[in-house]
Amino acid sequence: MEEQFTFKRNHRIFLIAVMAGALLTALLSVIISGIGTSRVWANILLNNQFFLGLSLGAAFFIAVVRVSLAGWHTIIQRLPESMTAFLPVAFILMLILYFGIDNIYHWAHHEDFDPVIEGKEKWLNIPFFFIRMIFYFTGWIALTWAMKKNTDSLMTSADIKYFNKRKIFAGIYLVFFGITVSTSSWDWIMSIEEHWYSTIFGWYVMISMFVASLAFLILFIGFLKGRGYLKDLRDDHIHDLALLLFAFSIFWTYEWYSEFFLIWYGHLPEETAYFVPRLNEFRTVFFLNLGINFLVPFFGLIRLRSKRNANWVAIIAAIVLIGHWIDYWLMIMPGTVGSESGIGVFEVSVTLLYAALFIFISFRALAQGQLVVKNDPFLRESLSYES
Amino acid sequence: MPAANTTTMNDKKYITLCFNDEGPMLQAIRKLLESKEIILDVQTPFPVHGLDKLLSIKRSRIPVGGFFLGILGAVSAFGFMTWVFTVSYPLIIGGKPFFAAPSFIPITFEVTVLFAGVSMGAAMLIRSKLKPDIDFEPVDERITDNMFVVLVDKNGGNTDIEKLSEVLAGIKIMEIR
Repeated sequence: MEEQFTFKRNHRIFLIAVMAGALLTALLSVIISGIGTSRVWANILLNNQFFLGLSLGAAFFIAVVRVSLAGWHTIIQRLPESMTAFLPVAFILMLILYFGIDNIYHWAHHEDFDPVIEGKEKWLNIPFFFIRMIFYFTGWIALTWAMKKNTDSLMTSADIKYFNKRKIFAGIYLVFFGITVSTSSWDWIMSIEEHWYSTIFGWYVMISMFVASLAFLILFIGFLKGRGYLKDLRDDHIHDLALLLFAFSIFWTYEWYSEFFLIWYGHLPEETAYFVPRLNEFRTVFFLNLGINFLVPFFGLIRLRSKRNANWVAIIAAIVLIGHWIDYWLMIMPGTVGSESGIGVFEVSVTLLYAALFIFISFRALAQGQLVVKNDPFLRESLSYES
Repeated sequence: MPAANTTTMNDKKYITLCFNDEGPMLQAIRKLLESKEIILDVQTPFPVHGLDKLLSIKRSRIPVGGFFLGILGAVSAFGFMTWVFTVSYPLIIGGKPFFAAPSFIPITFEVTVLFAGVSMGAAMLIRSKLKPDIDFEPVDERITDNMFVVLVDKNGGNTDIEKLSEVLAGIKIMEIR
């Protein structure tokens, strides 16, 4: 029961080495193969958004299970909570976009008169863009910090008031996140193609975030389990996580289809502008995205036995995690880099840099307390949980 | 969980254990299995998690049937619409091509769910031999409300109420008869 995760020295060194190596490879590939400025900035935005999504999705997960008073997750609750420790870093990384805003967003530097951009000027201007960014991050960081602090208190004290407080913060987070995840995805992704809009876009990005963070959480658990931690975690818990991954992959497909179908059917030029380049120049990635994120989890996890096999679930989760990175790639790249975009050494090394940083910060946050919060009132339910 | 061998009420070959909660019932079943008693049937007002595993009931194959009938539904709906709109009665709707695959998806989805759902329901009724005039009398009327019942075989007189109360000492039992 009393478990303490130790972030071993060799793991730290390995992650720092990966970060250094990836940074070096990224820099070298910029110098040698002449990666354009807009591609560099688009990659920074892409990985900011992807890894921020892992944090926000994890916070969404704990907020949902706490508001609904679910008990099964109690044994693993510190894992998603430590994934939210990346949020302050993501804040800094997002603020860096200030220096590259002209390379990503056309609305930030357009010269000729454009009635559409003119009409959106009140929302899409550089000062308000960053004011909103600070507002979103302040809310997210404050609320996840408040939830985390009460969990930390539960480690030492058995007072129920910490549990109740945490639940209230989870409720506030859900409301705040529900609105800001939509508006932030308009700001950071949808405004790349500022002539285009889609009302479902915010939900689509949110589900993408949630599925990716579930996939990361499953891999995180797999890693800890493989190192001998979380002895009380059984197939029943894996089953539930796999079920969520399965269900929300289908829900992601629903969102994807809802967006595509209405635009395809309506056939209005200002709406199809989003799908035309994706279906013509990025046809392979377009269908790869759908295949990886729908067919793989759907057929891979449909059987009961495959949902209860931790190794198999981890394989599917890894594929889905890559799939949702590709999903963001397809949202961001055609509008920013266009025909010069690709998935090469540069993309892989930048992503590895971010991934190592994300894992480093999550592990460090996890090592700061007991792995299992022993005063949580739902712990017994989680230990004897059967699905 | 209806079973044929519980319908004979008069010549009682079993002992009835009544519980008012699933917790004590599961505890009791574990104890009974430990002491090698024969459990004939368990009747509950709602599905109880972990009960199937405890009684080592084989997993139902209904989901497998549902999967394949769902695929049949998907294929037949998509195929039928393709046939109608390309061969039988081609119409130009909204300037779309005859084979407008994305617009077939919602109906394909619905027919998939319909086939899978209806076939699983029908398979369940057929396999458990449920029909309108079924000759089934519950051991106790209260299992339809809030009571959990475990039927233990008397095993030709080897097991009686005294022995069971001894085995289940400490577990909250509502009635034993």
